Amino acid sequence: MKARKEKEIAKDLFSISKKNRLVMVIFLLIMTALWAIPIYSLLKDSLKVNGLSNYSYVLMNKVNGVPFYQYFINSIINALFASVLLVFICSLAGFAFSKIEFAGRKLIYNMVLMCLAISGPILIIPLFYIYKTAHLYNTHIAIILSECLITIPFGVLMLKNFFDGLPTELMESANVDGASIERCFFSIYLPLSKPALINLGVLQVMWSFQDFLFPLMFLTRDKSYTTTVAINAFKGVYGMTPQSLGRYNAALVLISIPTIVIFIFAQKFIVNGITSGSVKE
Amino acid sequence: MKNTKGKLKIGGNHNKAGYIFLLPLLIIFIGLLGYSFYFLIINSFKDVTITFRHADFTGLENYKTIVSDFGFWRAMLNTFLLSTANIFCGLTFGFFIAIILNFKIKGKRFFHALFFIPSMLPIALMAAVFGSILEYKNGIVNNIFRTVGLSGLAQRWLADPKLAIWAVCSVSIFLIGIPIMYYTADLTTISSSILEAATIDGAGMRHQLMLVIFPILKNTHKTIILSMLLGGFREMERVFLMTDGGPGGTTEIIGTYIYRATRSAGSNIGLVCAAAMIVLIVAFVISFIQLKLTSKNG
Repeated sequence: MKARKEKEIAKDLFSISKKNRLVMVIFLLIMTALWAIPIYSLLKDSLKVNGLSNYSYVLMNKVNGVPFYQYFINSIINALFASVLLVFICSLAGFAFSKIEFAGRKLIYNMVLMCLAISGPILIIPLFYIYKTAHLYNTHIAIILSECLITIPFGVLMLKNFFDGLPTELMESANVDGASIERCFFSIYLPLSKPALINLGVLQVMWSFQDFLFPLMFLTRDKSYTTTVAINAFKGVYGMTPQSLGRYNAALVLISIPTIVIFIFAQKFIVNGITSGSVKE
Repeated sequence: MKNTKGKLKIGGNHNKAGYIFLLPLLIIFIGLLGYSFYFLIINSFKDVTITFRHADFTGLENYKTIVSDFGFWRAMLNTFLLSTANIFCGLTFGFFIAIILNFKIKGKRFFHALFFIPSMLPIALMAAVFGSILEYKNGIVNNIFRTVGLSGLAQRWLADPKLAIWAVCSVSIFLIGIPIMYYTADLTTISSSILEAATIDGAGMRHQLMLVIFPILKNTHKTIILSMLLGGFREMERVFLMTDGGPGGTTEIIGTYIYRATRSAGSNIGLVCAAAMIVLIVAFVISFIQLKLTSKNG
């Protein structure tokens, strides 16, 4: 499968000699071999001692009284709600920054952009205090709000870029017809921006699945753990005997599957989303 | 420019509509972020525990302690080291793979997916996998060295104070999905006439790559460097799950430093707030430079 790729048609980005093409293919093969090491190691370890029954053991048995699928449900709930909330906030704000003229627009926009610098570790103490006081500690809401908060600057930037690309004339003609800005947004611009909103939503789902710090900090009950924090918990529970090591690795494989499936189906949205969210004026 | 003209035609300001649209953003920003900043600033001047009772005002004492704390600066240095590793791998391996995948190659989609997926997976998962790969006794890396007769190269990758941070950094090779994405998107915008001209001038592949394509993608490099520089401050699980800051704190990064300081019993939270403030200021400076650099390039 891999060995057959050198036979190619010329006229690519630029033409290259046969020798150079061979160098490239070899480089690609080396990288692929490098990639194969962790994959091979993970799959091999996941079959340790008990073979495939490691997988059924992980799926059937409870860890700390929580069935394995519960972690996925928690992750999915967090990801979906964070995604919807993010798209809601950022589509409104992105539209305002792009198409509405109001006092302080430039200033607020720049302040939001500066917040690209904010990272999770900085916020854990104040957010911990806020959630404790508001009785949101140990709830999904705490995770959803935090994950959303940290992505808002990116989302606003990305959707402002998108709305900047839509013609203002649409709004003018609607305005002549007496439509308010709100009507313009909901009946003209929002339907047009569907692809960008999907991109952003998919990205948030992915980032939410990746998030580790917030669930680790704000969740203390095994019942509400997400998959990433479950990795940490498994490490303790399954211990270090070869048999349990096999189960631990089987759990890792199972955790990676949803992300890979999401990626295969949503590759286009993820790529478009990330590249359209780079800072440009 | 066209935008401004359009807006003027509509006429006047739309302050009310503007702020209605911004309302959800402002609520969550002021409520969570604004309050967080206020909280950090106030508490960084106090001696207070995680229960937030009995706070003593201590002035700049916390800042003095943090600034003279060797562990904090080591964490800062390690954070930048990790970012640098990410940037280096992105600009070299990421760049070459993006170029190669730009050619018509069989199984292109497969390779794209292969090189992207590690960046999409939870880093916690990657860290767990690499933790076991680099294990001394049964790790596959040491096993490979032993089978090819280089058992001298088998090391305690994660337990040796000198090697541990480099072992953590080595995972960066697998996190080049995002740079590949940026390069692939921007490579399609290079006009073929430039490259054709270079070919006619007799430039070889090496020249075309290094003297023509690499400079043209200047802005892409900048985007990658700046976003990954800030990304370092978001890192946490890689170190947390591979070495947990050890051995002897040699792999501590900002993320784990703050988490550990928060979680250790009876610790002075004011101190952690002061550390967070310093990190925040550094990050804001980087972010400010990013905005200045990119807006000039209109």
